[in-house]
Amino acid sequence: MQTVVNDVEIRGVYKQIGKNVILNGIDLQVKQGELLTLLGPSGCGKTSTLNVIAGFLDIDKGEVFIKGKKVTHIPPYKRGLGMVFQTYSLFPHMTVYENLDFGLSLRKVPKEERKKRIEQALELVKMVGLENRYPRQLSGGQRQRVAIARALVVQPMLLLLDEPLSNLDAKLRYELRAEIKRLQKEVGVTTIFVTHDQEEALSLSDRIVVMNKGIIEQVGTPTEIYEHPCTEFVFQFIGKSNQLEGKVKTVDSRMVCIELEEGVQVLVESKNMMGPERSYSIGDEVKLYIRPEKLTIQEQESEPEIFYYNKYNASIVQMNYLGSAWEIELLLFGKRVQVLQPFVKSDWKIGAEVTVGWNPSDMMIVKK
Amino acid sequence: MEPVRYDDRQKIVRLSTEIVTARRKRNWRKYIYCGLLLFPLVAFIFGFFVIPMLYILYLSFIETKGETNAFYSIGNYVHFFTDSYYLHSLWLTIKISLYTVVVSLLLGYPVALTMAKCSPRVRGLLTLLVASPLLISIVVRNFGWYLLLLPNGTVHQLLISLGITTSPPKLLFSEIGVVIGLSNAYLPFMILSVATSLYNIDPSLEKAAAILGAGPLRSFWSVTLPLSLPGIVSGVVLVFSMSMSAYVTPALMGGANVPMLPVVAYDQIINLLRWTYGSAISYVLLGITLIMVTIFTRMMEKGRYREVFR
Ligand SMILES: Nc1ncnc2c1ncn2[C@@H]1O[C@H](COP(=O)(O)OP(=O)(O)OP(=O)(O)O)[C@@H](O)[C@H]1O
Ligand SMILES: [Mg+2]
Repeated sequence: MQTVVNDVEIRGVYKQIGKNVILNGIDLQVKQGELLTLLGPSGCGKTSTLNVIAGFLDIDKGEVFIKGKKVTHIPPYKRGLGMVFQTYSLFPHMTVYENLDFGLSLRKVPKEERKKRIEQALELVKMVGLENRYPRQLSGGQRQRVAIARALVVQPMLLLLDEPLSNLDAKLRYELRAEIKRLQKEVGVTTIFVTHDQEEALSLSDRIVVMNKGIIEQVGTPTEIYEHPCTEFVFQFIGKSNQLEGKVKTVDSRMVCIELEEGVQVLVESKNMMGPERSYSIGDEVKLYIRPEKLTIQEQESEPEIFYYNKYNASIVQMNYLGSAWEIELLLFGKRVQVLQPFVKSDWKIGAEVTVGWNPSDMMIVKK
Repeated sequence: MEPVRYDDRQKIVRLSTEIVTARRKRNWRKYIYCGLLLFPLVAFIFGFFVIPMLYILYLSFIETKGETNAFYSIGNYVHFFTDSYYLHSLWLTIKISLYTVVVSLLLGYPVALTMAKCSPRVRGLLTLLVASPLLISIVVRNFGWYLLLLPNGTVHQLLISLGITTSPPKLLFSEIGVVIGLSNAYLPFMILSVATSLYNIDPSLEKAAAILGAGPLRSFWSVTLPLSLPGIVSGVVLVFSMSMSAYVTPALMGGANVPMLPVVAYDQIINLLRWTYGSAISYVLLGITLIMVTIFTRMMEKGRYREVFR
């Protein structure tokens, strides 16, 4: 039997400051070489989790292992990790070269090798030729690159990134995001990336950890998180969503039928149940969620070849052009519902009657 | 967007010129107000500082021979730099000032570090404590030390009863006493100026150093200390120049045994009535202090950590 060694393992981490429970039982495994993202709203404990791994935060309960070694009470400077901070945290009184040299000289690496490794690291982040600049003389993006190089040059067991892109403008963020992904795969270092930007998390990660109020809501690949959220929180936090409410009419192992109002019923696949309680009985009050891009608008009485289980009449209330798509607001069962369409037809106008349809497998259901 | 209509444009132009002229008028008025508000202080400084200083400078270039004979010369300065008593006094002044700087830096830095590390509430309290001696007149504080440091006084008895020494050194009327008095007087300035620069250090820099493998000592030596240099420099300059020109403490706690230059100059002017020579001494003191402070700050600003001063 082959046992997979986890690079990082956290068990039952609990931390309280004053009356404030910051981490409430965190269990987490990070596999070797993977890029794991901690995602969650502000104040949910992402930085705290990272600080626990780095050793900056003493915990009340629980254990932390790095490469199989228990490090719960080992100070940060003995853990041999690399970290990039939200504010770059380059040493302002040192040149780029000296910043990179700091960690190497502490590790007593011979001078010649130090030089070689610093050159390599700068090449990796495309910063060759700026060795003698001071951080003051660099742009935000350049500082961030140097910060990443400084963390990587010591060849850390683990790379920790705390919202490294949040101080940059949108375009640069997009560029550096791709670059971090490339770097991570090139170097192969196990990486934990903190962000509150769901798009960043989805595009970057091998796996995502969604956190909320000091607990982990779900761990999974980006598609798992997006397509099969386990909880209502995860569904709402990632992507946009429409919400409907109703009562369970019938339930079997494959489908749940829900009555929204007198005579209006929708079908949802049973495996799409979210939340802790997953057995439904007739008459239960439930909430239904569906993402705007899973809804499709058809003109009334046309295109019979596309068949949806759920198909209803609605009227267009508003149309917004987003560039890459149209955001259309519909009035469906007396509620406003958003639909994302790649194109619009000429007779779709505000007030027009259309048919909207979706697949039972695309709708999520949770008990009220 | 709708195109701007012609009359709209005219209106815009008119509006913007109105704003500009209004601002110009207001600026003139502002300057006049500022001038009026500043005038009393400027007049005061000019009348009671600049003119006397110039007068003293003028006096220092007058040499007197006998009762009536007076003429312009640089004789006073020549006299100062050829008489070993005055040169010794100058050296003593510099030496004691340097000791004071070192002592207040060594005592003050840890306090400043504590202030930078603790919570804002405790920090406010500590700031109050550190600054509180400034509320008491320096004469009163020096008399306090005077009593403590007297031969066979409290400190002597303490040293003997603790068994540290059987024949304690002379504290009062000695260089030690003056250094104690001066360090005590100027410590708050050192602490507050170092603390201010420590507050400005981004706490995540220490975390960055730690994660790169630097223990607390190394992190202090390579990150905290260099980044607090601006505070150290301003503290050193403050304490040094104040020590160089201190009169009360050396006079009270050094007496005739520690003739620092301000005391000597005072003596020349008040007791011996040699105004011109006393003036020259004052200007030598001023010049030497300025030169030393300038060299020191230049050295720091051009040195290894010049980046910190930008
Ligand atoms: N030193 C502290 N004392 C008290 N509470 C703290 C302290 N540090 C953090 N907290 C609290 O712990 C919680 C988690 O903080 P943390 O910094 O981990 O959040 P985060 O997920 O990183 O948020 P953000 O996205 O805003 O950075 C927050 O509610 C915060 O108020
Ligand atoms: Mg954070």
